[in-house]
Amino acid sequence: MFKIILSKSKNKFICFISSIFIMLMPNLVWADTVNILGLFPFSGPYADSGKLLDEGAQIALEEVGYEINGKKIKYITRDSETKAGPAARRAQEAIDTEGVNFIVGPWSSGVALAVTEVAKKNKVMYYFSGGTEDISGKKCHKYAFMWAANAWTAMDADLKIFKKANPDAKKIYLFVVDYAFGWTLQKYVESLAPKYGLEVVGVDRHPLGHREYSTFITKAMSKNPDAVYMINFGLDAISAVRQLNNFGFTPKKPVVMSWSSGFEELIQLDPAARENLIVGSNYYYTIDNPDNKKFVEAYKKRHNGVPPGYAPAAGYGLMKMTLLGMQKSKSVEPQKVITALEEHKGKNFVGEYEIRGRNHQTVRPFFVLQTKKQKDMKDQYDMAEVVDVSSTEQPKNINMCSDIGKF
Amino acid sequence: MNKYTITCLIIFILLGPFLFPNATITEMLIFGIVAISTNIMLGYTGMLSFGQALFFGTSAYISGLILLAGFPIFLAIPIATLGSFLISLFVGYFCVKREGLYFICLTFAFNQMFYFIAYVWTEVTGGEDGLVGITRPEFIDTQFSFYVFISILFLTSLYLMYKIITSPLGLIFKLIRENPSRAEAIGYNVRFFKLVSFSIASTFTGLAGSLYVLIHSMVPIDQIHWLKSGDIIFMTLFGGVGNFLGPLIGVVGYIWLSDTFSIIWARWPLIMGVIFAIIVLYFRGGVSELLENLVKKCQFYFKKNKDEKYIKN
Amino acid sequence: MTFLILSQILNGLGLGMLYALVGVGLTLILGVLNIPNFAHGVLYALGAYFAYSIAKMTGSFYFAIFLSPLLVVLVGFLLESQGVRRLYQAHHDYQLLFLFACALIIQEIIIIIWGPIGFSLLPPPSLSGALDLGILIYPKYRLVLICFAFFMIICLYLFLTKTNLGAILRAGIENRDMVKVLGINVNIVFLYTFGLGAYLAGLAGALSAPIMGLTPSMGLDILPICFVVVVIAGLGSIPGAIVAGILIGLSQGAATIWFPEATNVVIYLMMGLTIIFRPQGLFGVR
Repeated sequence: MFKIILSKSKNKFICFISSIFIMLMPNLVWADTVNILGLFPFSGPYADSGKLLDEGAQIALEEVGYEINGKKIKYITRDSETKAGPAARRAQEAIDTEGVNFIVGPWSSGVALAVTEVAKKNKVMYYFSGGTEDISGKKCHKYAFMWAANAWTAMDADLKIFKKANPDAKKIYLFVVDYAFGWTLQKYVESLAPKYGLEVVGVDRHPLGHREYSTFITKAMSKNPDAVYMINFGLDAISAVRQLNNFGFTPKKPVVMSWSSGFEELIQLDPAARENLIVGSNYYYTIDNPDNKKFVEAYKKRHNGVPPGYAPAAGYGLMKMTLLGMQKSKSVEPQKVITALEEHKGKNFVGEYEIRGRNHQTVRPFFVLQTKKQKDMKDQYDMAEVVDVSSTEQPKNINMCSDIGKF
Repeated sequence: MNKYTITCLIIFILLGPFLFPNATITEMLIFGIVAISTNIMLGYTGMLSFGQALFFGTSAYISGLILLAGFPIFLAIPIATLGSFLISLFVGYFCVKREGLYFICLTFAFNQMFYFIAYVWTEVTGGEDGLVGITRPEFIDTQFSFYVFISILFLTSLYLMYKIITSPLGLIFKLIRENPSRAEAIGYNVRFFKLVSFSIASTFTGLAGSLYVLIHSMVPIDQIHWLKSGDIIFMTLFGGVGNFLGPLIGVVGYIWLSDTFSIIWARWPLIMGVIFAIIVLYFRGGVSELLENLVKKCQFYFKKNKDEKYIKN
Repeated sequence: MTFLILSQILNGLGLGMLYALVGVGLTLILGVLNIPNFAHGVLYALGAYFAYSIAKMTGSFYFAIFLSPLLVVLVGFLLESQGVRRLYQAHHDYQLLFLFACALIIQEIIIIIWGPIGFSLLPPPSLSGALDLGILIYPKYRLVLICFAFFMIICLYLFLTKTNLGAILRAGIENRDMVKVLGINVNIVFLYTFGLGAYLAGLAGALSAPIMGLTPSMGLDILPICFVVVVIAGLGSIPGAIVAGILIGLSQGAATIWFPEATNVVIYLMMGLTIIFRPQGLFGVR
């Protein structure tokens, strides 16, 4: 067939030119815009979060009318699929064909560690929020920033405020999800617990994606702890909480969800199973300041009055910080934006924060909530209230970012 | 492979970097090697394996580790490929003892076990976070040089595999697929040749894996997950198991479609599933069968016109 | 320590009964139709999702458990008549891959209908809470689950051994061609068998929901385990599937005590060893 078509040189020429044109067309459009990529999981195991992250980012962009420093913002999204391979490929594609200079997302830490390499290689700014301390730790580099609270800060907050809410508690039993971030959090809990008069009486590690906790629960209950302290997330955490309730552990004794997305996880539990939980989260919608109220209103408008959870707040926070850097530096070049953000102090919807230039960690509040009994709930979303916050920074000697490097 | 297909292949390789971003086209070539080699097992010998990701991933890890240790790429690729070969002998020995559903289950079981090792042995593989920090050697650090490097290896692998398939060994594979009892009756040790087929397929898949490391300078753990094995089978089938280059079309199609659809609709795996189902039901020969039919129809149409013109005159 | 071991036995039994139900369903389909049903996992998932919606709409958990597997049977009929039937003559591989494609499609449809976020399905108040058995405290629902699953399996056994249709199914597993020769409409038999397999998968899914919750990927997650059960049992053996299911449930329980990280891989190891050393499975028919 090619012989027939290509025998006419006119056809050959037309085919060639049109195919080049079609493939290059997107490039012709990104002339004078700021190009930001939202790399989120729209398919795969965390597909629910992808959509919400995107919405949060959109709300932040709407606040500035999709314009910054006199340029239009072109915001594109790509599916991270929660698979590092395709996510890295799509990020690279976006950089090559769409001229992307700023990346936010994804959701999973495994993918984030892949994307941060792409960002470093291509010298584009990258802001991540999620469960790993390596972005501002072992794998730190000049182009990447971390929005979620540092793991040490979070565990410190959880233990401190748990003890405050349960002064008589002494023994805790740990459920730990079996991968790098879980082990990191476990390490911090074991080192910090004595400081608050708590003793770890047992640890059980379970695979990621585990749904059957009956065995762990019976083991835990045989040690008679004052609380089960969970280092796991999403459906793993929800299944465990549900089953702990089935076995009668709660509501008599508390369960700590130490690194939770807060709203998204609590809403999946029914009120009875939700009683007596201490939940540590990077965000909760009841945070009381004007910026947060504005964000919550904007989100509620899009969602029939449903308040935002951690996912949209993360998308919002990541985009806000990216835009803030551009505003402060009056530039849209990654290096100038990054320099403007280092050591920046400010106040936004999560409260007071500071960006540590040494490791690009956002030092900011981590919220610890206590869930409410069903009879105390004012409406179906009034699931918990903030007991306290803490933003104690991780001691420098523990942080693994020895040298953030240069541009 | 006739002159037309070779021409098309050359045109594709020449035009490739202009049609797709560098990361995509190199990934297409690398998975092209994987799919074509998997087809040696699937299309030619009739063995459906759900374990190809095992070899792809393991080889990627070995290659990555060698590069991280500071050794040159010219050491990493052969050693990783050799590693794949040896592992394929071990895994293959057990798997070829059984066939059909049992073979699938065995390859799947081995895949799961290797995935588990990769997941748990974090000091070596990085676990869930994958192996990162690998640097591309300087001589292939530009987009152009990297592409040339991958294309050369791609064409070399294809040439080698083609030579194997068109040799008497290839005929034995086909015989095993068509009629294993007859092959046995003639005197061929079917199990041995199945192992040979398995090893060849896995070794070339390993070679591709050792190259994958260079695209993003990392090895993510999803490359050794059983769903990746499923993807590989899908790409091979989608392209067409009936001819040598068919799977390459499948790879290009799959990667391009998944990237295109993922921008349009979050539920794009649904579309891929539907395409997959249709292929399995109606177009077992895959896209290449569709293309062949199209070419035949065109040739017939043009020939008819030529004949008519001739008659008129 | 007895408390721990006893609880683990009960935990393993509970899980094991669920695995047994899906395993029996799968082995029926495999035995009679000789098709590896890669869509078995999503049928399990649909069972859970239908139960969730029915319970939400009617407020009755029991009704949901009753109706939802029947709905899954309808889906099973649809799959069999529209798709699988066309592939009877095709190679094993194509049947498998078609059903795998269907599994992917149905999983996405589940996300479209119910959304990607997971759900809880609560047991009714009569089944909630824990029972104090003296030596240990154990959730009521799990105890009832074990008894009910066992009861369903007895019903299934009676069906297969005491009824005509059951006899035909058993004959179909042993010798499909003979059944054809005897003049029985094989298409109908296949349809009903697939439906029965779907019923068991859907029932298991619905029963599992209060324990493990619902998530769109639950189908893909349980699929490997179904096949492990069937392979260890021996293709076509129903008592084998029951024993294998319970065995796997108990091994996962044991692994959790001594080697928790390996709870997933231990079953694949068992399957691999079975295929290599005792390929016909524990109770293999062929």
